[in-house]
Amino acid sequence: MVLVKSLYPEVPMTDIPALRYAYFPGCVAQGACRELHMATQAIAQTLGIELIELKKAACCGSGTFKEESQLLEDAVNARNIALAEQLKLPLLTHCSTCQGVIGHVDDRLKTAKADDPAYLNQVNGLLQEQKCSPYQGSTEVKHLLWALVGDYGLEMITRQVKQKLSGLKCAAFYGCYLLRAQSSLPFDNPVNPSSMENLFTALGATPVYYSGRTQCCGWPLSSYATEASFQMAGNRLEDAIAANADCIVTPCPLCHLNLDSRQPEVEKVTGKKLGLPILHLPQLVGLALGIDPGKLGIERHIVRTQPLLEKLGF
Amino acid sequence: MQVLFKVVRQYPNQQPRLQTYTLEVEPSSTILECLNQIKWEQDGTLAFRKNCRNTICGSCSMRINGRAALACKETIKQELSRQIPSTFLSGKLTDGEELNPILEINVAPMGNMPVIKDLIVDMQSFWQNLDTVDPYVSTAGRQVPEREFLQSPEDRAKLDQMGNCILCGACYSDCNALEVNPGFVGPHALAKAQRMLADTRDQATETRLSQYGQGTEGVWGCTRCYNCNAVCPMDVAPLDQISQIKSGVLQRQDAQASRSVRHRKVLVNLVQQGGWIDERKFGFKVVGNNFKDVQGVLGLIPLGLRMLQRGKFPSTFEASAGVSEVRSLINSVKMRESQSTETMSDPAPQNPVAPESDAPESNALVEGPDPSFGWNTYAERINGRFAMLGFIALLVLELVTHQDFFTWIGLR
Repeated sequence: MVLVKSLYPEVPMTDIPALRYAYFPGCVAQGACRELHMATQAIAQTLGIELIELKKAACCGSGTFKEESQLLEDAVNARNIALAEQLKLPLLTHCSTCQGVIGHVDDRLKTAKADDPAYLNQVNGLLQEQKCSPYQGSTEVKHLLWALVGDYGLEMITRQVKQKLSGLKCAAFYGCYLLRAQSSLPFDNPVNPSSMENLFTALGATPVYYSGRTQCCGWPLSSYATEASFQMAGNRLEDAIAANADCIVTPCPLCHLNLDSRQPEVEKVTGKKLGLPILHLPQLVGLALGIDPGKLGIERHIVRTQPLLEKLGF
Repeated sequence: MQVLFKVVRQYPNQQPRLQTYTLEVEPSSTILECLNQIKWEQDGTLAFRKNCRNTICGSCSMRINGRAALACKETIKQELSRQIPSTFLSGKLTDGEELNPILEINVAPMGNMPVIKDLIVDMQSFWQNLDTVDPYVSTAGRQVPEREFLQSPEDRAKLDQMGNCILCGACYSDCNALEVNPGFVGPHALAKAQRMLADTRDQATETRLSQYGQGTEGVWGCTRCYNCNAVCPMDVAPLDQISQIKSGVLQRQDAQASRSVRHRKVLVNLVQQGGWIDERKFGFKVVGNNFKDVQGVLGLIPLGLRMLQRGKFPSTFEASAGVSEVRSLINSVKMRESQSTETMSDPAPQNPVAPESDAPESNALVEGPDPSFGWNTYAERINGRFAMLGFIALLVLELVTHQDFFTWIGLR
């Protein structure tokens, strides 16, 4: 158990859950979206959540390993999960794609443990050949969103809010892998999810509903079917703008890349001016917790976030 | 119990409108039974397809509460249990709290197809696309045997999952790729395509893989949105079948075959090199094809400059502390896979991938020619790269300083 300092005298220290996770950073948060890594670290520190970074982990494959072979996806991610198992901690992701891929491998291998032990033995045999710890199926794979909503609890987060995001209309963009890659979600409905919107409400913001919130951003096609990919991103952005959103908030850095970094190209393909800021989930949480926007890397986005910060009085 | 049905009604060439019906139903009633109740007791003009009432014919697919499903399969009780209670706050229901069902069912026609009337859509493109994958076991070049074409029960069992498809159109309706790429054949057709590839009696494997791997009409058009897997009422898992086809294509094609193939090969190669993906290299290798695709490189420049300007461009890369383990793990998986492919009776790949050595740099599929002395391809490439780097540096310099190069160095 970790010691946490109470931020508010009225919140008894014992009420704040002492949470520890094996933190899986993923490639994008170490590359083109370093602001996501900054924001996750910043909110974890403020909320008193301890993150132990898996320095020896590897890319989950973002769904591409499985196209080479299922064994490749399973072996690499069984190793990732086993690293968290060694620490006896749940593996924490902050990317919908990492969550969907590693969570799905965890589901599959847990099923194999009961129904197809020969397959699990094959995977573990490969791991042991490389002197890696075997996969045991003894932990869980959890997205930051689920950790916040499920483990930390929205009531507790509300009590830690320093700057209510009143009047900010937030459109959630969940990411396909977070909703549909795993056979069952801990408490959300994959067709009509509500965890993001519930979190927005807890932070004082106003959730905005639009049909694109559960659909694909087009990122997987962006390197080779660029026009189709940007058209898809454009459809989502236009949908959110039509619902009067001030910003889109996403728990997936790959969605962020297509919706934010490529938004100028998306504007060219759709022929419409968009200019919709896209926030990473922990950035929005961080703003409500009163963390300096600079520490959340909010200025590192392609679509300017200044109007948003001004609206919030930063 | 009382339920409110909100049904999207549409006449040809008119805007859709929402019509509501209040029904007295049993929790076990299927959505189809409710629609029949509306049609028979309240409004005979409501149009929808139906036939077997038993999840066999695939006629009654429509969008129910936001996703494509069979009206004869889903019940009122199941639909209500999918609603998240509005009091949900901390992720857990408090003791004694009961689900607060929202007694409302939304029904709409399937997507990606034009509406003929109300819940009936024109499925012409669905059937035409199915036909393009040649969904018949090939008999070309086969001698007619004395007995019928034999298949072992084990080999037949490999077709079960794809064979369960009832062609209801649910996956096609909710496919995100079709929304932006009308040329994409759709998940139903590709699931059928894999059914043909997996059939031991079919002799057209190579032709099929080459066809399905062309452009973005086939497997590379899929955006992996997972909707097909999620909505399929028969657990065909079309996305999984698409992955199987991609695997066959990737075994036979090298990184130069197409950008979509290169994307996959480069990704695995970079993970072997660094554990994580070095995003600085990824774009140039996939889109720029190691500077071979000049148009691709030029297309990346605005993105690169934009990211540099915002401090978003990853200037450094730190490999995973477990990179050597990851590298040898991937190599041994590849070795295992190539051994199992060889032992299977599948036709030999046209361009089999050479077994990987420990050094990922030796992967000739992705990397260039070996360094050697003299004016050769290697020197030409290096020279080209430096020229391009210089050019980009010049652009960056001029953008940052708002001066041209000669003014900047003080010559003007």
